[in-house]
Amino acid sequence: MDASIGNVSRPRSGEGFWLWIVKILAGGLILFLLGLHFVANHLVAPEGLMSYKDVLAYYQNPIIPIIEILFLVTVLAHALLGFRGIILDLNPPAQLLKLLDWIFIFAGVASSAYGIWLVMVVVARGTG
Amino acid sequence: MENQASAKHWLKWFDPRNRSVSTWAFILNRVTGLGLTLYLFLHLMMLGQLAKGPEAYNGFIALVKNPIFTFGEVLVVTAGIIHGLNGIRVGLAGVGIGARYQRSMFYILFLLAVILSIYFAAKMLLGA
Repeated sequence: MDASIGNVSRPRSGEGFWLWIVKILAGGLILFLLGLHFVANHLVAPEGLMSYKDVLAYYQNPIIPIIEILFLVTVLAHALLGFRGIILDLNPPAQLLKLLDWIFIFAGVASSAYGIWLVMVVVARGTG
Repeated sequence: MENQASAKHWLKWFDPRNRSVSTWAFILNRVTGLGLTLYLFLHLMMLGQLAKGPEAYNGFIALVKNPIFTFGEVLVVTAGIIHGLNGIRVGLAGVGIGARYQRSMFYILFLLAVILSIYFAAKMLLGA
């Protein structure tokens, strides 16, 4: 009964070792990047980035766009792989899974592109 | 397992009887993960206000200072703390570290998550 906490996270059928390990490592990286994201955005940044002007000024430091884009891509990978894991546990038909995989890939690429575009727009505006 | 829910018998998902602590840990990880994924996409969409200029973004910030949004943010922070700390156990056990001590790890990390969540909730709800 309760001894089943001996179960550990393993690659699911249809997931494969690489997607599983990417999900685990992305999780670890997120702990680090989220900490950085929070400390930078809410403690170091003056006023906690609560105005448009503050955000623009903040993004003039070249390290910030790099951290934020890296953070975005890592979180997207972890979130989409995690969501796919939930779908896998519901034993979807192979055809459906194939379609969903394309949707996940599209969502990941489109969201990354959108985020990178947004960062570029903010950086390009200078200090307002 | 008698209480193992399948996609066909999805009503059983909501039957709380005969669950082990590992099942609760699993459910907690999934529910918080789904919530955080939802927040991720909302967050990305809302930050799009930056591209529309100062009025749009500052108006959005004024809107989210409403206590309803603060409450939502408390939920996000709580989910993040629970998912992040529990994820340390899932990741470590998955690569073979401390798999035998998962139950104690879960209890310790969950207790820590509760303490941190209360601290941040108090700070966010009362501090402002």
